Amino acid sequence: MPPREGIYGLIAEFNTPSELVHATEQARAAGYRRMECYTPYPVEEAAEALHFHKTRVPLVCLLGGLMGVTTAFLMETWVNVWGYPLNIAGRPLFSWPAFIIPAYEWTILFAGLSAAFGMIALNGMPQLYHPVFNAPNFRNGATTDKFFLCLEASDPKFSLSETRAFLEQFPAISVVEVDH
Amino acid sequence: MSLGHEHNGAADGHHQSAHHGPRTLPSALAAPEIVDVWRTRLLMVAALFALLTIPFGFSHEGKNHILRAYLLGYMTCFSFAGGGLVLLMLQYVTGGKWGLLLRRPLEAMTRTIWVVGLMLLPILFFMKHLYQWALYPTAAATAEALAAHAITAEQAMTADAKRAMLSPASATLQSAVIFGVLLLITYFLNKWSLQRDADPARGTQGSFDAWRIKFENLSGIGIFIYVVLLTDGAIIWIKSLDVTWYSSIWGLQFLVGQGYAVLALSILSVILLSRYEPIKTLLRTTEQHDLGKFAFAFVMLNIYLTFAEFLIIWSGNVPDEIPWYLNRIHGGWWYVCTADFLFHWLVPFTLLLSRDLKRNKKKMIWLTCWMIFARCVDMFWLIEPNFKDAAGNLHISGNIGILAYITVPATVLSLWGAYYLTQLKARPLVNVNDPHLEEILEPEHAH
Repeated sequence: MPPREGIYGLIAEFNTPSELVHATEQARAAGYRRMECYTPYPVEEAAEALHFHKTRVPLVCLLGGLMGVTTAFLMETWVNVWGYPLNIAGRPLFSWPAFIIPAYEWTILFAGLSAAFGMIALNGMPQLYHPVFNAPNFRNGATTDKFFLCLEASDPKFSLSETRAFLEQFPAISVVEVDH
Repeated sequence: MSLGHEHNGAADGHHQSAHHGPRTLPSALAAPEIVDVWRTRLLMVAALFALLTIPFGFSHEGKNHILRAYLLGYMTCFSFAGGGLVLLMLQYVTGGKWGLLLRRPLEAMTRTIWVVGLMLLPILFFMKHLYQWALYPTAAATAEALAAHAITAEQAMTADAKRAMLSPASATLQSAVIFGVLLLITYFLNKWSLQRDADPARGTQGSFDAWRIKFENLSGIGIFIYVVLLTDGAIIWIKSLDVTWYSSIWGLQFLVGQGYAVLALSILSVILLSRYEPIKTLLRTTEQHDLGKFAFAFVMLNIYLTFAEFLIIWSGNVPDEIPWYLNRIHGGWWYVCTADFLFHWLVPFTLLLSRDLKRNKKKMIWLTCWMIFARCVDMFWLIEPNFKDAAGNLHISGNIGILAYITVPATVLSLWGAYYLTQLKARPLVNVNDPHLEEILEPEHAH
């Protein structure tokens, strides 16, 4: 993929989480939607101010679980009825009670792995490059004691001059352009 | 995908913006007046079903069915009273803000133990109509019954071997000990709970710690004692309906079943109360969500134990054990057995998987009522096939008295519920001398 050119967004750096949350709320009220907060630790109010939507991880987890239970049950059925039919204590070949426990274990295994890998995939990982790292002090600040709000250029409301003016009304340490 | 703000889940969600500081504790913590209305309604339901029960008394085998159905009602009430006690003790030993709002409802359940003890009296009085070992209480009577082909040789030998435990005098004594010990624990936990709130040093770390340790010290050993006593109770009241039956998982299964029922009832109680002050301010979606997850765990553990018991016996395929299941699967019981599986596990399991449902007040009300109903279906499946006329032969024609299994438990549970509500009204609805109170007053977050 050729590198994308141009501006990714405007990023504002704040000293405290409450300033960040306030700015995020105002940005949403002003009509911005494509934005993201970057904080050194989970700030639930920020997620709330972004109106962070639900994720698809539960769905992926459920589908994984269903896939696990079906795979295991069908596999056991095949093994016992067609693959290697053995007479075990005179029981029917299709002795479903005996299949339940492995099917249950596979449900958990598949659901767990789907949840973990689904979460990683939905997070867009692995990601070797992200434009926000171009902002000064982001690399250090976002992992220690600074709070960032990025209004992205893909937002229809985004305009370099107006958005900059909008962000500068807050007590931000800096408001900078971030290139792709 | 919804972009909506799913802050409070419920339709009546009193939206509070985050980071606007904690809410204040309502000044009046007493139960709302509406509890009286609920109690009246329950008494009306009880009266209605009691009237409906009367005709069954005149049907064939009707009196026996009423007695068996009463046993079901009794055992379910015991689940709430005893299970309430063990969940209360569990909350004291684990701590955590999830259970703070449950404490007073659970205490109210424990204070019904003496009534549940009295409810056992009819069963003890009519025990020879329920238990074979009570009908033939001595070795001589058993030998006579065997000679008359009233019982099988296996039943006779087992009854003789188990006589020390299963005889009218011994069963009565064991029941008395069970209720005596439970009443004692209930007395102290309830007394201390009021003293804790009235503590002059309340609100200080010293007071928190002193009371926490005091409750922990009784509750830790109390849980152990309860599990032993419950195992004994489950054996003499339910399991010994079939004198030859044994299963080492039975006590644990009842314990988990009680956790299932009690959680359902306590979630139902706090959600219904949350329509009114003070619980309206105190019940956050976060805690409701946590309780839903806890109930989910019990749903899972319950099927795990039930299925494990079945799988082990099915694998063993031993003539001693397998008829117990055959009596509960053949002859029409397959429908009840399947319904039990669907009602008791599949429905709550699939529904409680959903995060939104756990955070929704209205849906949780329906689900918790359903779970309590499912407990009764399960108990029906455990009790009725023990009797000769029903084993492997579920029939309703000429056996209309079996419908008493609907009316009698409904009566008994409604009456118990009315007394539970009386006890619930007797105290403020929340424990105030607890550090978690401050936590549940904090604003909650969507995540």
